[in-house]
Amino acid sequence: MAPPDVHHLFHHPIADHSFSADRQTLAVARDNVVDLFQRSDNKYTLQDELTGHDKTVTGVDIAPNSGKIVTCSQDRNAYVWEPTPEGWKPTLVLLRINRAATCVRWAPSETKFAVGSGARLIPVCYFEEEDNWWVSKHIKKPIRSTITAVAWHPNSVLLAAGSTDGHARVLSAFVKGVDARPEPSAWGERLPFNTVCGEFLNNTAGWIHSVAFSPSGNALAFAAHDSTLTVVYPSAPEEPPSAVVSLSTQVLPFMSLVWSTESEIIAAGYNCEAYRLQGDENGWQLAGSLESKGRPGVQDSREESALNMFKQMDLKGSTKDDTKLKTVHQNTISTIRSFEESDGQVTKISSTGVDGRVVIWTL
Amino acid sequence: MANVNWRTINVDALDPDSPANFDLSSLAPSVAPVSTADVQSLAGQIRQLLRGGDNAGALQGALENPPYGADAQGKDVHLATVIEILQSIRQADMSPILSQIYSSPGGTEALDVLMKYIYKGMAQTNAASSTRNITPQATGFSQVHARGGGEGGSQAMSVLLSWHEKLVEIAGPGSIVRVMSDRRTV
Repeated sequence: MAPPDVHHLFHHPIADHSFSADRQTLAVARDNVVDLFQRSDNKYTLQDELTGHDKTVTGVDIAPNSGKIVTCSQDRNAYVWEPTPEGWKPTLVLLRINRAATCVRWAPSETKFAVGSGARLIPVCYFEEEDNWWVSKHIKKPIRSTITAVAWHPNSVLLAAGSTDGHARVLSAFVKGVDARPEPSAWGERLPFNTVCGEFLNNTAGWIHSVAFSPSGNALAFAAHDSTLTVVYPSAPEEPPSAVVSLSTQVLPFMSLVWSTESEIIAAGYNCEAYRLQGDENGWQLAGSLESKGRPGVQDSREESALNMFKQMDLKGSTKDDTKLKTVHQNTISTIRSFEESDGQVTKISSTGVDGRVVIWTL
Repeated sequence: MANVNWRTINVDALDPDSPANFDLSSLAPSVAPVSTADVQSLAGQIRQLLRGGDNAGALQGALENPPYGADAQGKDVHLATVIEILQSIRQADMSPILSQIYSSPGGTEALDVLMKYIYKGMAQTNAASSTRNITPQATGFSQVHARGGGEGGSQAMSVLLSWHEKLVEIAGPGSIVRVMSDRRTV
């Protein structure tokens, strides 16, 4: 297994990150700006800065085909940035929310995107040709608390949303005139806007950090603050799901998750390392960490001179530098995303966290 | 209007969509109400097991039936039962019993319940010993603790602390996080 590709960008937490389709441009949310980094010679150099938000940016997403960047922030606004010869041109999106926006994701069709917010609703935004403006429709019911995570189904109509009320929901975000009628699936047949296709809650009901559909869209996974991972397998529309598998882990909660195949999830969070989880409808289990423990070079073990050793003993009372974690990330991992895929399998993932590092892992 | 301190107006109460205006219990998984009499009869059965020397069985039985739906009195009865079991198990037997529960079906759930009782027990012994240790004069610090109450409290605490240590070894910090985020309290 190739060692992880580590880049320390800056000493600030990274709330969210996104790579362009060619993986040469990296957008990271840093405080109230979005930094665009360009890859050259295996290094990331700061290329551009998207300024416009006046509060912390909470989400950034690059559409793979059109290259448009959508950002959202605690200032309750979202912008769509389009590349022009003069630079990035922002367009304000009318979210109509009175609380912070918490997360944003493009639909796979790239004609619309969903924004999670603290106003207990999800604005689903699409481009109105007539007015030349991004407008939003609100998914309101039955959300009772802040939306912390959104994820799209591959059909671009169904939306999964995780909330601080402990529920993960599957909702329809069908917009007339923008979407084609979706194929019926196990989640539902007729899907007008704001149809609730499922509401899921596990026993401990911790608030949700991350939701994700499996590659086929026929399963939903969510990670909550009770250190659990729950996977829901729907059976048929309007029927209870055929299986809800909840795995209580021994580690600290997961903040983000990615399906690598239909039977494997990569999850990372407060433990500062990424874990591999495997299973199916009959049960899930933690298969292990992506880190190889005790790998040389993680702890930079320098040759210590005797003088230096006694100096350290005198200054700190110990010769070991125990201020570093044994993991690659030195703080909570907040986002992981698929970096490279082949034959429908994710082969590489990228992770960013509170420590300002971006790491690319080979699975 | 000038007299109204508008900063103290509870705006959430005026907003029909506000979270203050809906039933929060609908957000959490529902729990069936349990009467105190039921908790007491369960405690009797568990004591029977304990007298028979089946400590592990008693602990498992107590952890599999936490009275989430009981009132404060019923919860206290069950807490007393669990603490009694914990105190009657020798230190050397703790880890084997915990591993046995962990590997049984529903084991992580049972250990999470145990963690809840350990924290609740700690909170209780603290409260009990601190009320007994209040000195009449407000001296700011007290050198001598009231011996009797403090001794009993610290002994119960040391039992709970060693259980906590053993439990974290097996169930991990995930169990602690679950206790904090779970709305079903013991």
